[in-house]
Amino acid sequence: MDFNERQLERQSFTQRSLLVTSLLVIFIVVILFRTFSLQISNFTEFDKASLNNRTYSVPVQPLRGKILDRNGEVISENIATFDLVTTPRDIKNVDEFLKKIENILDLDKDEIDLYIKNFNSKAFFNRELVLKKNLSEIEIARFEVRGFEHKEAFVGKRFRRVSRYDEIFSHVLGYTGGAGENNLDEQNRFRSNSWRDAVFSYANGLIEGKAGLEKTYNQSLTGTFGIKQFEVDARGRLVKELSYTPPINGENILTTLDIDAQKVAANQLGKRKGSIVAVDVETGGIVAIYSYPTFSVNKMANGISQSDYDDLINDPDKPFFDRSVAGRYPPASTIKPLMGIHALNRGQISWTTKINDPGFFELPEDGRIFRSWGEIAHGLINLNQALIRSSNTYFFDLAYNSGINELADDIEKFGFGSTVCMDCILEDEGLVPRPQWKMNNLNFGWFKGDTVNIGVGQGYISTTPIQLAHYTAVLANKGTKKPLFLNNSLSEKIQSSEIQLENFNQQDWSLLHKAMESVVESDYGTARRIRDQKDFPIAAKTGTGEIISLDSREEYERIREDQGLRDHAIIVAFAPVEKPKYAVSVIIENGESGGSVAGPVALRILKELLKE
Amino acid sequence: MIKKIYLDPYIFIGISLLAMVGVLILFSASEGDTTIVFKQSIYVVLGLILFLFVSQPDPDIYRRFSPLILFVTLVLVFIAYFFGPEINGARRWIRLFGFSFQPSELLKISLPLFLASFLFNKKLPINAKQTAISIFFILVCFLSVYIQPDLGTGLLIAASGFLVLFLAGLSWVFIGITIATILIFSPFIWNNLLEPFQRDRIWTLFNPESDPYGSGWNIIQSKIAIGSGGFFGKGYGEGSQTHLNFLPETQTDFIFSVLAEEFGFIGVLLLLFLYTFVLLRTFYLAVNARDRFCRLVIGGFIFTFGFNVMINLAMVIGLIPVVGMPLPFFSRGGTSLLSIFLMFGIITSMSTHKKFIPK
Repeated sequence: MDFNERQLERQSFTQRSLLVTSLLVIFIVVILFRTFSLQISNFTEFDKASLNNRTYSVPVQPLRGKILDRNGEVISENIATFDLVTTPRDIKNVDEFLKKIENILDLDKDEIDLYIKNFNSKAFFNRELVLKKNLSEIEIARFEVRGFEHKEAFVGKRFRRVSRYDEIFSHVLGYTGGAGENNLDEQNRFRSNSWRDAVFSYANGLIEGKAGLEKTYNQSLTGTFGIKQFEVDARGRLVKELSYTPPINGENILTTLDIDAQKVAANQLGKRKGSIVAVDVETGGIVAIYSYPTFSVNKMANGISQSDYDDLINDPDKPFFDRSVAGRYPPASTIKPLMGIHALNRGQISWTTKINDPGFFELPEDGRIFRSWGEIAHGLINLNQALIRSSNTYFFDLAYNSGINELADDIEKFGFGSTVCMDCILEDEGLVPRPQWKMNNLNFGWFKGDTVNIGVGQGYISTTPIQLAHYTAVLANKGTKKPLFLNNSLSEKIQSSEIQLENFNQQDWSLLHKAMESVVESDYGTARRIRDQKDFPIAAKTGTGEIISLDSREEYERIREDQGLRDHAIIVAFAPVEKPKYAVSVIIENGESGGSVAGPVALRILKELLKE
Repeated sequence: MIKKIYLDPYIFIGISLLAMVGVLILFSASEGDTTIVFKQSIYVVLGLILFLFVSQPDPDIYRRFSPLILFVTLVLVFIAYFFGPEINGARRWIRLFGFSFQPSELLKISLPLFLASFLFNKKLPINAKQTAISIFFILVCFLSVYIQPDLGTGLLIAASGFLVLFLAGLSWVFIGITIATILIFSPFIWNNLLEPFQRDRIWTLFNPESDPYGSGWNIIQSKIAIGSGGFFGKGYGEGSQTHLNFLPETQTDFIFSVLAEEFGFIGVLLLLFLYTFVLLRTFYLAVNARDRFCRLVIGGFIFTFGFNVMINLAMVIGLIPVVGMPLPFFSRGGTSLLSIFLMFGIITSMSTHKKFIPK
């Protein structure tokens, strides 16, 4: 190569290497720019992603609030049980460990199998694993004495939801059951997979109210989940605990219920199907509400055998069915005070109007006979006497002279045909029939006889025990209507209203109360059975709910053979008459006599409630 | 008796600093594993000795022995392939006295050396025959590594060969035709020559979130590590992405992410400064080298080194697909480190010896 060529070559090299160097410098600039974008411009995003990578928040379950009666006595609470909890990470040899534990505690085969099955994955992820559930006191003591030998195992506290009154509050209280994490309001505070590592306070894990107050007030009872934050590695292993925000336990619920009254109600009803509802007339708070047959809430919440459960489900008497709020019964003669108010208010009669009761009512249109109970002829009687003796003919006559729509309007004013409780669950509205309803549902026109039947609380009309208790409270309050409730905190929010009655004044109310008091006091009164047992004035109205419509006494004697077809015994009552404090409704299915069967039950409850 | 020590102080300081920072980061990346770090430190010391040693001879020795060096290297590569142990499905190591040795790393040195000695006296531009011969050697070297398999190193070796060819005056016509051909056949390459996992990697690059737990995982976690380092970093040994194992391959391919996470943008700036400094200094040395052979060798070496660094960085920050390519001076691996020191030793030799001009 000559000199020129050499110069040329050098020039070419310099140019070409400058080109490559420029390329590399551009590369460096691009990389710098990109790194700047990652580290400075988008720092917040990546910082969050990195934090999200390394931290893992698990929910810590709060304890449910207690459910208390109106005196603050516990109805439902959380009772601690103890489990043997281990940390597999710290256990070198499972078999040796289990052998050591077996020297202290008996382990059955299922427990060991389950333990070994889950051991490796729990050890890998550094999670706790329960070896034995529900330790007895003796087992705990035996373990604790030797506890220093087992740093990898400890006694963990787990709670159960328990009612102190297993069966008597079942329907109103309800019970808890397993909850899916999706049902929780809190789910978006946690990553979905973190629920499998949740720190459970309950032996049953996630629980929620499935019925009754437990369900209605589930949210405030549940409380707020705490957060335990861990550092985790890429494979999800827990490295260390970073922070702990304790859970906020649920709020206690102070109810309007009274444990003693409820106990009396349960005792009095005994093994008879039916319902008892007692109401504080001054507030509208429900003090006792019982339905039989019932079931064990503690079994429902903490484990019931399949056969026990099947028995409950298949029982023809439907133990889960809450008769108090959803049972439909004819109000029978308990509707008669309302009929009287209706007739007086509409000016059909006055307190002195007398009607002849020959023991039956003949419908003028077609001569159909409507019979009285026992076909007793009461002769010429006024409203007062008709109420005391529960004359059917008198009220057939009142109903006959009423327009069905006006009558239905007045019945509905007293809360029938709609729900009356603010925080009861699955409450039935009952039925106040009207021609339109009959046409729509039965495809038949309205007959005068249908109206006549309503006069004695029979026929299409149906009511629930809680509606009857509410109605009785309205009567006791002389027309002031208050919605019923269970949670004491609602008492301030209750709006009472006056029933609009143009021609029914305070004097009329007093006369009505007098008549209802005479139902107990009078020698002719249908509830005179309880007259001598009471220690305060009681106003009442009995009823006998017919299950099937019959033409004669003889026919009833025949069907009486079948217990399920016997009449329902009903009574509504309030006391003391002068300044009423409590109203009660009692329905005993197939109990036959409102006065002598349901009457004493109502009396005992009022006695319990009014005792000083 | 030594009359003079041939040494370029800038290069010496630059690569010493890089090697020291490298060991520091590796210590964090290996969770403080002293065995790994001790081994790496030994390699650094050995490397510096090697560096000083190969700086001393006159460059002509390298030119004269370059065919032999290439031949021996290739033999070693084939020995590794046929007789070496299989590790992670690849046969690229030779075990000797308890040390693993990866001869393919040496091809990055012996191939440019050989091509430079072949081309240094050829007329400009390089003619077709010489181009063909050069490409033949490049292909042989590339394939010998590609079959191990080790695509990353293979491509780098090929790049080192082509860089020398380019610097020596490869005709622009040839370059134009080649680029056009590659562009035309790229669909064919995509469909027929690339393995499915390679296609996955390229695909993932453009859309890493499409498969966050599969092939996108590495890139996503690497970006999180770098991004969350912020301006000042999380502190030495405090990188949660690194130490909780979210970041993969922290000791090898993704070691830059460790530095970026723990030392932040400041650390990245410092690292890029050191590399740029060494790169520009060597570029200066290349341009001012005593003859064409030295120019070609220095140029081939340093640009290969530069591309190696840039490809690794571009890969971990998610600019290009993931290819197995370590970061010089940082990634764990003795042979790679030694060959880098060797390379800079030869660079020093070629830039410090004056040409003896016969009268």
